[in-house]
Amino acid sequence: MRPAAETKDFRRDLVSLLPKLRRFAMTLTRNAHDADDLVQEACERAITRSHLWNGEGRLESWIYAMTRNLWVDEIRKRKVRTGSGTVDVSDQDELSIEASAEKAVYANQLQKMILSMPEGLASTFLLVNVEGHSYRETADILGIPIGTVMSRLSTARLRLAAMISENTERRA
Amino acid sequence: MQQTKGHALEIRLCAYIDGELGEAEKTELEALLARDEDAKALFEKLKAGSAFGNTAFEDFLHDPVPLALVRQIKQGSGINPKAERVTIAAANVSRVRVWPRMMAASVALVLLGGTAGYIVGTTTGLGEPTKLASARNWLDDIADYHRIYSRQKERLVEVPASEAPKIETWLASSVGVPFTIPNLTGKGLNFEGARLLVASGRPVAQLIYRNADGDVFAICFLKDSDSPQSDRFSESIRDDLGMVSWQRGGASFVVVGPSANPGLHDLAEAVSTTI
Repeated sequence: MRPAAETKDFRRDLVSLLPKLRRFAMTLTRNAHDADDLVQEACERAITRSHLWNGEGRLESWIYAMTRNLWVDEIRKRKVRTGSGTVDVSDQDELSIEASAEKAVYANQLQKMILSMPEGLASTFLLVNVEGHSYRETADILGIPIGTVMSRLSTARLRLAAMISENTERRA
Repeated sequence: MQQTKGHALEIRLCAYIDGELGEAEKTELEALLARDEDAKALFEKLKAGSAFGNTAFEDFLHDPVPLALVRQIKQGSGINPKAERVTIAAANVSRVRVWPRMMAASVALVLLGGTAGYIVGTTTGLGEPTKLASARNWLDDIADYHRIYSRQKERLVEVPASEAPKIETWLASSVGVPFTIPNLTGKGLNFEGARLLVASGRPVAQLIYRNADGDVFAICFLKDSDSPQSDRFSESIRDDLGMVSWQRGGASFVVVGPSANPGLHDLAEAVSTTI
């Protein structure tokens, strides 16, 4: 069993990761309510499996991958519940979750614009461009080939560039 | 390193931006950017998208995290974060029958008003105003100040850290509490400067620090000989802010920082021994 001090340190590390973990979850779920549920579930799982964390690499990579797997499971369950059949979500290029403006209120217009991008784009951009993960790490976290990471990244950057003028027009 | 030959130019340029290319491809793309205006324009567009995305994603980190989740992780199970959730999303509207409650509240108000009127009418001296407004305390004011000031990245402080000796003299005489500015570099915090605030109608000194991630922390204190003196630390979470307070030597102190930061209590202990 893990010593109490080590467990405490793990919990502390987990707490300090919460804002980043929530942000990552938002790129998957694209609404705050689902993101908070997902973060909670991921944290509970991380704590019960903390003995499996070997302390090598970045803790967030380990938890992000866990979070992404939980979300894929959730999407699968929802599809079954809504009668869409057991589609393998990991095979899909984009998860078919509605990101309508009516469903959630976001902190500001920028966040709303980011979350309106197809799911795969925002999370890939976040991991590589914002958090500095390598293409290999990002592919492992998201469970996708490196080629998909690369194409999502370029699409995300071009979409974001297009948003600059949209954002300027809205503010004008 | 990635091999991107044969991919679309935007993909290759992204790999160049991200430092994922080997020397040969890097040199090839640099030569292309030097001679091809279209390629250069695409490159600038990709970089602009990156910068815009970075700014937008930075905003997410300012959202409040679910507080009960923080406590659950820190202290173990027994707290249900879903029951105490604090988010920026629109709250669910609970479906309760409102009109019977309104009716009951109206009746209660009429009775309360009548009783209060009787008491006021039969009492010569009205109660002191401070007693009527006791719901908020100085920590509520500090939390409000912190939320506003911590976002003023360019004007975070009133007097900068470079004038530290003046800060100590100025705030000690304004607040009535002698102190030394704590050096918290060992905790990863740089002293940025200070402000003089007013909380609960009294002057409060605020020392402001920032960590490498740009998170803002503050130490606030005021003269407070009324409160029972105790070195016990009291921890509270107010939305996105964590606060650890204590009393000593006729003064009240509080350390304020992001609620998701697990080191606030340790920080308060360090401050209490050095301030």
